[in-house]
Amino acid sequence: MRILPTTLALALVLPAALAGQARYGLTLGATGGTRLVTDRIFQDIEITQGLAPTVTLSASLPVSERERGGIEVALGFGKTRIKESGFPTVDGPDFKTLSITGGVQGPIISTLGWRFGAGLLKYLPEKEGIFRSGGPLLLILSGGADYRLPIRGPVGVVARLRYDYQRFNTDELQSSGFGRTQDVHRLGLGLGIEYQRP
Amino acid sequence: MIPRSRLLLGATFVALAAALACSDMVSPTRGTRYDWRLIVDYDSAGPRLDTLSFHWPRNRLPVRIWVEDSLELPSRVREGIALWKGALLYGEWDGVLVSDSATADVIVRLTQPPPQIPIRLAGRVLSCSGATDVDTVGTRFELAVPVRAYIFPTIPGAADLTQCLRTVAAHELGHTLGLFQHSSDSLDLMFSEPTARFLTERDVGTITNAYHFTADMFPVGP
Ligand SMILES: [Zn+2]
Repeated sequence: MRILPTTLALALVLPAALAGQARYGLTLGATGGTRLVTDRIFQDIEITQGLAPTVTLSASLPVSERERGGIEVALGFGKTRIKESGFPTVDGPDFKTLSITGGVQGPIISTLGWRFGAGLLKYLPEKEGIFRSGGPLLLILSGGADYRLPIRGPVGVVARLRYDYQRFNTDELQSSGFGRTQDVHRLGLGLGIEYQRP
Repeated sequence: MIPRSRLLLGATFVALAAALACSDMVSPTRGTRYDWRLIVDYDSAGPRLDTLSFHWPRNRLPVRIWVEDSLELPSRVREGIALWKGALLYGEWDGVLVSDSATADVIVRLTQPPPQIPIRLAGRVLSCSGATDVDTVGTRFELAVPVRAYIFPTIPGAADLTQCLRTVAAHELGHTLGLFQHSSDSLDLMFSEPTARFLTERDVGTITNAYHFTADMFPVGP
């Protein structure tokens, strides 16, 4: 779990060191995604993910007249459901994800902006089930849009829409003999505040 | 109008995602197993056999287990619970120790089993032994709860008694999970005279199959 405070500290300290016109954000939201696992033991089994409350920290700096470069660190708290034909659907294991993406963002029109990024995501170790040993570092590609509404001076409200793609796997699934990876697409919506240094 | 650089960036992202998006997970093969099902005579008038599968239904989990508090047997059973629970990927089974045997689904006593009941799965290791009684309540489809298991030292004070109790506790727990037959492979924990300290691939394959095979028997009782 040392990775979490280290990443969060980096997310805050690095942009601060670079100072001028840095923009910081904190959003709370929810992220949903496609199924995590498909399996077959006499009948089909599927692990799906529910909406995961997600907290995102962001920091960015101008890289050109219109574009900014920055990072986003997101921590998600997810739940799963296990569906199996002929059996009642039950709650599956909970999970936590930690991701960090570097990206570029810029304006589309007025207060609406775009962002594309790439980075790493990790499923953190849990007590049992498919997340027991956590997961390897996964590459994620992300894209999305931000809608900004200035409130007072350097502070504003931001609404964020994020999509990302990953090739899902966990150490427990690998040691259980699962081959290849599962494509997982996620969509998240967040609402928060931003502060831009003058 | 959207600048060309941004279009290029977006196009690169979409192309990368499309190039990577081509993969579905592949399930492991779980063919390695032994038969776990209970074979019962169901008609005394003729040689008719019925082969029945059992697993604890999800709505009965966690299975409540009462263990006699002697010779650190609760610790041995806890280790057995962790072993079987860890073998199942989807939380198909869970067990918890309870303090009152009146509320238990499974009772584990540190004593020799009482006189034979119709179906007894007995095993023997050098310094301790075990047995689990399966009571089908007169109908083939009902398993009487509590299921009773017995574990007892045969050479009290033997140097390997702790390990023996660990192995036999996990073995008898396997029976209470629904593995109602013995493996023919001496390396498996569910061999009739077990020496295994861990579950083999065949043990894991068998319990996985048992918990996804349609159950014929259902627990009935407190
Ligand atoms: Zn046995």
